[in-house]
Amino acid sequence: MQAKSVYKVPNGKLLKIILDYDEKNNSVNEIRITGDFFAYPEETIEIMENELKNTVLERTPLLEKIQSSIKEHNIQFIGLHAEGLTEGILMCKP
Amino acid sequence: MNEQWRLLQTGFNTAATNMAIDRAVLVTNSEGKVPPTVRFYAWEPPAISIGYFQSITEEVDLDACKAHGVEYVRRITGGGAVFHEAELTYSIIIPESHPQIPKNIMESYGRICGAVIKGLGELGIESKYVPINDIIAYGKKISGNAQTRKARTVLQHGTVLTDVDVDKMFSLLKVPNEKIKDKLIADVKQRVTSIKHILEKDIPFEKVAQAMRAGFEEEFNIELVKGELTEEEIALTQKFEKECFGAKDWNYRR
Repeated sequence: MQAKSVYKVPNGKLLKIILDYDEKNNSVNEIRITGDFFAYPEETIEIMENELKNTVLERTPLLEKIQSSIKEHNIQFIGLHAEGLTEGILMCKP
Repeated sequence: MNEQWRLLQTGFNTAATNMAIDRAVLVTNSEGKVPPTVRFYAWEPPAISIGYFQSITEEVDLDACKAHGVEYVRRITGGGAVFHEAELTYSIIIPESHPQIPKNIMESYGRICGAVIKGLGELGIESKYVPINDIIAYGKKISGNAQTRKARTVLQHGTVLTDVDVDKMFSLLKVPNEKIKDKLIADVKQRVTSIKHILEKDIPFEKVAQAMRAGFEEEFNIELVKGELTEEEIALTQKFEKECFGAKDWNYRR
């Protein structure tokens, strides 16, 4: 199932999520995290997108996966944060 | 004697060439082959650049760009879509370890924007830095800025609007909700300004560049010495133009 969301992160930037998810398992197939935010190093966003595959589309598992990705790859977001990203992903679902 | 940095005035170039030059200098500077470099440039034909994390098909009306002869390119820096037409674009490329550059990314935005603010001051325009990445004059945005750090080197580039055509800009960009497009355009017109709008006259590119040069020299207490791209930088520019900024693989990646 394809879905999109547009979410203005509070005190941050405009996040646009493009999601393909498995309805039966309620999990991520593919995700693209786009928007006018900043992330350092930039290339780590694709690693995070890969790591989010198969994650259950619920707040706690999404937030935990995003936080562990940030920690493991030493990602610094500006205009975005783990909670905002989680919210943007959840907004893709009806 | 003040420290000497290189000043590049590369004039008007295509979108792919402009982005390739910044990346080429990032490489040579990171390898210690060239001094810290400040560059002033412009775009011909006009172009839209999008941020690293943006999707070109989500942000840009590609048919409208084609119809208007406007190019498009994805940057190596984050941030938003920018319509480059009537502006001076600057870039600064400098080692992360340079004592003038704060280690903290947000602080370094403020420091580098300080040079642009002093440059605008030379033209008689008061402005201030507003985090995350804007400079505003009299309550309206006049400059947007974006920074990346690679190979222990800082690249920040940004715009200084000499004029602005919000209607044209929105004819080239997609908006999330067409129903509110008119309101969005009205809002942006209220929030964006330009040197021409403030001073009520056209200021030639050369004069804006002179002012910005003085701004950078004052902010960093340095002397900017006019230079040229090295042979290696020219070769790297051609390579990045072909393999990256002029290539579909790169521009359509997200």
